[in-house]
Amino acid sequence: MHDEAAAEAAHTRISPIPREARPFQGQRAGLVTRLVAAVLDSLVIGAVLLSGYLGLVGLVFLLHPRSFTFPELGVVFSLAAAFAVAVVYLTVFWTLSGRTYGYLVMGLRVLGHGGRRLRFAGALVRALCVVVAPIGIVWVPLSSNNKSLQDLLLGTRVVYDWEPRATRADAPLDDEAAGDLS
Amino acid sequence: MRIPGVGLVRRVPVPSVVPLMVRSLTAPVVETVSSYAVVTRDLLDHLADQAIAEVVRRVDLDATVQRLDIEAVLDRIDLTSTVVKRVDLDVLVREVFARVDGEQVMDLVAKVDIDAIAGRLDIEALLDQMDLTDIVLKRVDLVKVVDAVLAQIDLITIANEIIEGVDLPEIIRDSTGSMASETVKGVRMQGIGADQAVDRAIDRLLLRRTRTSSPAGPDGS
Repeated sequence: MHDEAAAEAAHTRISPIPREARPFQGQRAGLVTRLVAAVLDSLVIGAVLLSGYLGLVGLVFLLHPRSFTFPELGVVFSLAAAFAVAVVYLTVFWTLSGRTYGYLVMGLRVLGHGGRRLRFAGALVRALCVVVAPIGIVWVPLSSNNKSLQDLLLGTRVVYDWEPRATRADAPLDDEAAGDLS
Repeated sequence: MRIPGVGLVRRVPVPSVVPLMVRSLTAPVVETVSSYAVVTRDLLDHLADQAIAEVVRRVDLDATVQRLDIEAVLDRIDLTSTVVKRVDLDVLVREVFARVDGEQVMDLVAKVDIDAIAGRLDIEALLDQMDLTDIVLKRVDLVKVVDAVLAQIDLITIANEIIEGVDLPEIIRDSTGSMASETVKGVRMQGIGADQAVDRAIDRLLLRRTRTSSPAGPDGS
């Protein structure tokens, strides 16, 4: 029923979404799209880390060109850097638009309590949970309502949302708010 | 009223061809006789007038008229042609209209069955004889009409319906979209399809019949 109402609401204005994709808008995303989005985000994080490392290399080369060697970063430092970059990256983009680059490509959006966009604190906590335990995503197909472990813990959800702007994400979903933990 | 023939009686002059002696002898007699004749004529005229007046006074005209067969008389008269020939209808109509006031006209109009008259009219023939387009162009303030029509129309809704009907966003995407956007659309749709396939497979394995993927569904948290 809510799908029909959402489809009608989408039809009352000009929708940039292709006709065949409209019925899925607002539905909770499944494992495959979320995994693909996570992989894309991982690539972005890897690119950021690589850029940071190359920047560091360039800085070292500029400072000690004669004795230049590639800096060897420890495993702990690398993991810490990756952790920090991932958390910052996820937190910032989930706070700003509810979607990272991977989510943007796959047409997904993270919604918080009551269907609203995640606030900074919620985004930070979810980013920490996702980075610490990315395996939580495998619970998505096992869950009856496509929720990962992080979603179950925080009351968040990931939905299909091809809208360029976060109009849908800002609209509260009153009928669901009671069940969320946030 | 004069009695017919009595008017001929006048004093008779003695013809000149009669010899003078004879005339002188007969003249007094002739004049006397003719004078009596004239007096008698006048007397008869008077008596006739008196008799007619008495007859008219004594006759009961109402009873006489009642005994008349008016219908038979009217049947023998062509009243229509008589009226047309002898009555100045223009004057008559003017007089009638001059005496009729507005209320009487309205009473008459109220008694007329306009619907019946309208039902007998050949509207199509009337319309065929009229250049309605020209009449509308000349006599109708089209700007006001259009403004009134537009004021009653929700143009935004209609525009949205038209855009939805022709799927304008799809046309714009087709005309301006790049390969990248088409690729993204394809990847997204394939991702949705893969999600559904995985969900169905897991549901089958877990013997689960219902899955709530809509945002209105229970959280289960």
